[in-house]
Amino acid sequence: MPEVSTAYGDKFIDYQSTGRQPYPGVWNPPEIQNYWESYVRGRKCVTFLSTPAVNPESQEVYKGGWPDKKDPFTQTDLLDNEEEQVQELILWIRTSLFIPYRENLANRLVTLLNDAKEEDSASLGIAAGSLRNFYNFLQLNTNLKCPTISLTPEYNIYASWREDQKKLFSVLFLPNGDTRFVIFKPNDLHPERQVRISGTSTTDILMATVAPYGVCDWISE
Amino acid sequence: MKGDTVPDQHHIARLCNPKHIDNGFIQATAFMLRVSEESLSVNWLEFLNCLSRKREIAELRNIYSKKFTKVGGRAQIAVLNVGEIREKVLTESPDRRNLKVLHDPEVNDPSHSGIYNLKQDDELIAEMILETVRETYPAR
Repeated sequence: MPEVSTAYGDKFIDYQSTGRQPYPGVWNPPEIQNYWESYVRGRKCVTFLSTPAVNPESQEVYKGGWPDKKDPFTQTDLLDNEEEQVQELILWIRTSLFIPYRENLANRLVTLLNDAKEEDSASLGIAAGSLRNFYNFLQLNTNLKCPTISLTPEYNIYASWREDQKKLFSVLFLPNGDTRFVIFKPNDLHPERQVRISGTSTTDILMATVAPYGVCDWISE
Repeated sequence: MKGDTVPDQHHIARLCNPKHIDNGFIQATAFMLRVSEESLSVNWLEFLNCLSRKREIAELRNIYSKKFTKVGGRAQIAVLNVGEIREKVLTESPDRRNLKVLHDPEVNDPSHSGIYNLKQDDELIAEMILETVRETYPAR
């Protein structure tokens, strides 16, 4: 099973603790197949797992509940898999108890996905890597207020926290686990002026990176 | 004419799709470039030669309905003053960015113009442009 990564958005997250796995220890192929068939039936979503590295001869490794796709590398397949991952991530957000506003957030993401698809049905909708990166950020920072969310032209998640119309913290979550952030805050010595800062950081150290600017004071519950 | 500078006292409008709007409020993502874009598409309102803002917006809706397959029900039109954007970004951006607003007419969209000198990673400038939005209207 893939390892859980809470720091980077470029890794697949399974989110299941080892305690929930039915076959501890070394698995043989029939056990893997049985597990995935039950897993897929239970989740009603299939995640993209077949890569050239694990299936170099483009053969179907799994049967039964495995998706009926021999070549996952067409544009259509990529989009399908991207959308399936997005839907699964939204499902995880909806059921993540550490997110107090999980229902509102999941509904907002569904709306964004529909908006993007309505605008361009051939588009990604939401970039799965970006959404995964955002989810990782929420996992690492469980005390944040619900942000305003929109999509960039490249379908990445852009989250903003505002206060008093003078304080702003916006974060663009890139699919590779990086973030680009913007901070606007009043200049303490010249209240009529604003301090404006932008930068980049990996998701895992974002809050530590922006801590000197007092961002936590206005985006935390 | 293509390449003409839109005067600072004039106004431009930006179509903001629903994915750039949260709870009725336009977000900075509406003013970010796609990877393939050289400039941010806007419309030069005074070029439309209408007698009022209300008529300018009606004309824009007409243009958008012909130009785009679908304009989302929650899409909005943001109206901005050219001089205000340029002044704010020039004097307050860290790199003193000198934005240009140039006429860039298209066959089915003669008032089409562009904001030039933006870059793909300009989240800070997109947030500054958002701060200069003066008026918003439903896009259809």
